[in-house]
Amino acid sequence: MGVGVMAEKPQLINVQIDGVWHQFPRGTRVIEACAKVGAYVPRYCYHPKLSSPGNCRMCLIEMGLPRMGPDRKFELGADGKPVVNWMPRPQICCAQDVAEGMGVRTSSPLVEECRRGVMEFLLINHPLDCPICDQAGECRLQEFSVEYGRADSRFLENKVKKPKRVRLGSRVTLDDERCILCSRCIRFCQEIAKDDVLGFTERGGHTTLTAHPDKPLENNYSLNTVDICPVGALTSSDFRFEMRVWFLKETKSICTSCATGCNTIIGSREDVVYRQTPRENVAVNSAWMCDYGRLNFEYLTSPERLLEPEVFSVEKLQPADWKTVISHTALQLQHFSGWDIAIVASGRMTNEELWLTTRLAQYLNVSLIDIVPRKGEGDDILLSQDRNPNTNGAKLILGLQSKPGANLETIASGVAEGRIKSLVVLGEDPTKFGIPIEQLKRLPSFVVINILRSSCTAYATAVLPAATYAEKRGSMINGRGRLQRLNCAVRPPGQARQDWEILRDLLQELTGHNGLGSVEDVFRQMAESIPQFAGLSLSRIGDLGVKVMVMPEDSTTPVPPGEPVDEEIIELPPLHARK
Amino acid sequence: MTAAKIPAELKRQVNAAVAQYPAEHKRSAALPLLHLWQEHFGFITDEGMKWIAEKLELQPINILELVTFYPMLRQKGAGKTHIRVCRTLSCAMAGGYRLMENLCEIAGIVREHDGIHNPVLVSPDGNISIEFVECLASCGTAPVCMVNDDLHENVDPNFTADLLRPQPSTLTFQPPSPHPLERRLVFKNIGRKDWTIDIDCYLRDGGYKQLKKAVTMSRVDILNEVKASALRGRGGAGFPTGVKWSFIKTDEKKPVYLICNADESEPGTFKDRYIIHQDPHQLLEGILISCYALSAHTAYIYIRGEFPEGAKILERAIEEARENNFLGENILGSKFDVEVYIHRGAGAYICGEETGLIESLEGKRAYPRIKPPYFPAVLGLYMCPTIVNNVETLCHVKHIIAMGGAEYSKLGRPGNTGTRIVCVSGDVVRPGYFEIEVGKVTMGQLIYEMAGGMKFGRQLRAVIPGGSSARVLRVDERFKIKEKQPAGSTIEREISIDEIPMDFDSLAACGSMAGSGGVIVLDDSRDMVWALNNINEFYAHESCGQCTPCREGALWMKKITDRMLLGGGVMQDPATLKTVADNIAGRTICAFGEACAWPTQSFVEKFPEDFAARATKSAPPPLPPEYTPEELITEEKIPIVPLAHNPGWEKAGASGVV
Ligand SMILES: Cc1cc2nc3c(=O)[nH]c(=O)nc-3n(C[C@H](O)[C@H](O)[C@H](O)COP(=O)(O)O)c2cc1C
Ligand code: SF4
Ligand code: SF4
Ligand code: SF4
Ligand code: FES
Ligand code: FES
Repeated sequence: MGVGVMAEKPQLINVQIDGVWHQFPRGTRVIEACAKVGAYVPRYCYHPKLSSPGNCRMCLIEMGLPRMGPDRKFELGADGKPVVNWMPRPQICCAQDVAEGMGVRTSSPLVEECRRGVMEFLLINHPLDCPICDQAGECRLQEFSVEYGRADSRFLENKVKKPKRVRLGSRVTLDDERCILCSRCIRFCQEIAKDDVLGFTERGGHTTLTAHPDKPLENNYSLNTVDICPVGALTSSDFRFEMRVWFLKETKSICTSCATGCNTIIGSREDVVYRQTPRENVAVNSAWMCDYGRLNFEYLTSPERLLEPEVFSVEKLQPADWKTVISHTALQLQHFSGWDIAIVASGRMTNEELWLTTRLAQYLNVSLIDIVPRKGEGDDILLSQDRNPNTNGAKLILGLQSKPGANLETIASGVAEGRIKSLVVLGEDPTKFGIPIEQLKRLPSFVVINILRSSCTAYATAVLPAATYAEKRGSMINGRGRLQRLNCAVRPPGQARQDWEILRDLLQELTGHNGLGSVEDVFRQMAESIPQFAGLSLSRIGDLGVKVMVMPEDSTTPVPPGEPVDEEIIELPPLHARK
Repeated sequence: MTAAKIPAELKRQVNAAVAQYPAEHKRSAALPLLHLWQEHFGFITDEGMKWIAEKLELQPINILELVTFYPMLRQKGAGKTHIRVCRTLSCAMAGGYRLMENLCEIAGIVREHDGIHNPVLVSPDGNISIEFVECLASCGTAPVCMVNDDLHENVDPNFTADLLRPQPSTLTFQPPSPHPLERRLVFKNIGRKDWTIDIDCYLRDGGYKQLKKAVTMSRVDILNEVKASALRGRGGAGFPTGVKWSFIKTDEKKPVYLICNADESEPGTFKDRYIIHQDPHQLLEGILISCYALSAHTAYIYIRGEFPEGAKILERAIEEARENNFLGENILGSKFDVEVYIHRGAGAYICGEETGLIESLEGKRAYPRIKPPYFPAVLGLYMCPTIVNNVETLCHVKHIIAMGGAEYSKLGRPGNTGTRIVCVSGDVVRPGYFEIEVGKVTMGQLIYEMAGGMKFGRQLRAVIPGGSSARVLRVDERFKIKEKQPAGSTIEREISIDEIPMDFDSLAACGSMAGSGGVIVLDDSRDMVWALNNINEFYAHESCGQCTPCREGALWMKKITDRMLLGGGVMQDPATLKTVADNIAGRTICAFGEACAWPTQSFVEKFPEDFAARATKSAPPPLPPEYTPEELITEEKIPIVPLAHNPGWEKAGASGVV
């Protein structure tokens, strides 16, 4: 069902759409074929990643098959094309693949009448509470009703009463009166989340969506149902009523909560992130993301955010301006070199940041460098055991020979035994890899570049407040070897800065020059030395990323459900046509 | 309910039920297990649902979905005596509603609500519970009701107290001697005085001879006989059986299933019930021959839940047949193994639709499948090739083997061969079943000669010729039918309703259908809005609710006719009814869409006077909810200027929409 194009050469099928003949690869759904040539057919129940129940009847079109001559060959018309035998009844186009010589009409009077009919049926029992509905602005019912709705109502009866505000689970709330019973959410739970918890009760016009009270919708993918619900029946308990969607600025990005790197859209307004939704990428996340990743952005506005640069001077850590802090930090580092210094970077850093970190390490002759592995439970849907989004980038760019984290013990003992005098920690907390506060306190130089305050920040000799993934641009390599791009959705709070700028300034201070004006420049410089990035630039990575590494054998990053293994994808299909 | 509290006998029955289905399709046992649970505990508790879910490795929601879909399954206890009163047209015409009211009065039940939700009403003392149910497939002896598992026919609404006393079930039968216009094949033994349903009686009468003959024939030969017979399915669609069977590949690798559709629930139809009750071995023989012909090693008889007695009779017949090696392993030394299982439905009309039936048999809500791609002969039960045939159809197979296909095809008319059972109910003197040669009897003969004509002082007004979904025919209509002349040419003939030959093609030419063979007769005392409303209620109740037009439209049409009956009809109602029906027919997943649209389309079109008489109020101003339906009913006059209203939705930018 995936729209991925497989490696074998696809055979092309001739189909007439609205009078014009087109060619499509075998296996193309008729509804997709129509969309491809600009004849978008409205739909509710159809979702390209799910099975097709054909229940909403919104996609009815006229369809025909070629007329057969007595010789069992297609009869050809004056134009040399097959003569189409139109079926008397409208057909749905969401469950059938294109067939040779098939004819389709997507805008005939009959088709328009069918759509008007279905729209009327869907609206008669629908509460018209758009002013208070979250989905307003993204609602397929609103959208199509503008085009196909009737101007007046003929419905004089009482609407069917159904439950409102049902908690399907801790994160998803249901308004049954708004539900149009398309079963997308049910199918998602069965087919993708493998957690068959939603279902219909009652029947006929009283059919009601629900979960069994003893088995609520709690799986780690529950919020995808909210995304695919074509109306406002399912809402995120979290986002509910918080923000009208049409005010949200959308930024394409990726999730950084595990090595999968699900493609996302960050919805923000005035430097506040309100939600994250998945963005289709057949090679990474299909059209989904997990709830854990989706909701993991509260720390962006945590009271523990580091907002001011600070530096140790006159016996204590004091706020100062960036320039002062950078030059003091550089001075601290210049005292040491080689084995005196250890750098602990993070698998959460972007490639660009890691690149500048290596340059810093080279300049200071540091060889003790590592990242902190972050493991969690994975699944075979999307979530990777590797909770660092850029382990692959770190291994590649830092040139780590052994497993990530192999040097951490040496670094910890180095600190404990006083051999290491300067510790630079980027985005990590040293107490978490075995260096107790007592020892950190004793360090002559302890440079922290981080987002949040931690138990050891107070004992740093320099604190450089950095940016979260939503506040910066850069790239990462996911667990399956795909280079992907982060984009800046909001500005860093307070005086926090994008990490690459911090590192660049530090380098500049130390080396006196580097000519890096933008993060694009950093990538360009990096691409000159790292063969995997050859010929690429940040903008050339594109919204869907580029495969740059062979998939490591021990990768725990799953192939997204229902999609081909990315090695087999030769051409990335365009985003599923959306209106 | 812990497993410990479940008696060993119930556990044994549960395990036996599970064993009826392939191990990887345990889910199929969901309905049987729910039946067992309800029979034992009286209703389905939460624990019951969880226990069954666990037993079948399902989620509790999967079971809850079923319990709320199938009306026979209850989540609350019923009374010691549970009465199901048929609500549907033929019974309603014969006093079904009065029966309900009288029963409620005797039982002390206040009937404030008999809607779709929780229709079971229990008397204060807990002794009696009552619910309306849809057509019990006994329309010829209307009004009928079931007291616990027993059917009571020709109930006199004024003597309801009798019902509440313990008494044996009374399955009434017509006099054994067939009407001279009849030609009995399938119904040969129905109502015979000397006839019993045990296998010995059947064998004495030459039973299973055709099975013995069939297993000596090649499969292709049997198929060819069935093709030559030109037999058309008796379930409703009239599809040629031989053609259907030939969709199964001879070298099919997957298992092939045969399903006998014994869900008989099309209002007006009551033939399969009598075959099952009176001649179960005939059906079984037909099934076994068909299984052999199709290389189907497993057959399921999907019998509607309201036939508990029929299910028991069939179980017994299967055991008897097994004892005689007519089924089981290596039947009659043919090296052919075959098993036949009974699967009980639970009160949903849509289980008669073949793909809905298959879903139901798979342990799911009976949601019909989309075709393409799920043609049963290709992707049927468990996604294997499956043939679904009606009870009567499968009985005919036996007679085709007996007579030979060519000989059989001489019965009836070309393209409309054989005999078929026509069920007459409604306003006639002698309602009942009649097996006729297809097309050899006219509507007039059927009504006036066979069914005894109209009641005293009454005139024919309308006929629904093929089950309640068939388009109604009006008495003064003229119909044009094409007739083949012996010379080979066809001529067009204009005929009256009385002259319509009772066959597939003629009824189709008259704009209706032969359907399931249920003929419902309405006389001149009938209000057609009332009749349509009764039908609309049936379809609104029975829509599976899967696809938009049927789910929304069926309920809407019912609400309109409800309101019209209560005096709230507005002038636009007939037109609205028609377009709502137009918007359903041909646009749904299954033929239920047509089934529920055709009555409305035809009643409104053919009886405009009845509808106009009940649609007299001026249409209220657009943009509801200025008027609730209740206000429309009670207000004498509806002002046509809009009242002040609060169109909240207009502010939402959706102005101009609904
Ligand atoms: C809504 C609906 C209800 C039906 N109910 C029945 C039924 O109760 N019994 C039956 O035999 N066929 C019923 N059918 C027809 C079946 O779908 C199917 O065509 C039939 O069982 C095939 O058997 P036949 O070819 O022997 O007629 C129904 C069809 C529809 C659309
Ligand atoms: S809640 Fe939404 S997705 Fe689920 S069935 Fe209803 S309309 Fe469809
Ligand atoms: S699977 Fe990983 S990348 Fe995807 S949303 Fe979840 S945490 Fe984020
Ligand atoms: S037409 Fe009606 S009964 Fe058939 S699938 Fe659709 S909703 Fe169900
Ligand atoms: S999109 Fe719902 S039926 Fe095709
Ligand atoms: S049995 Fe009552 S209408 Fe059929």
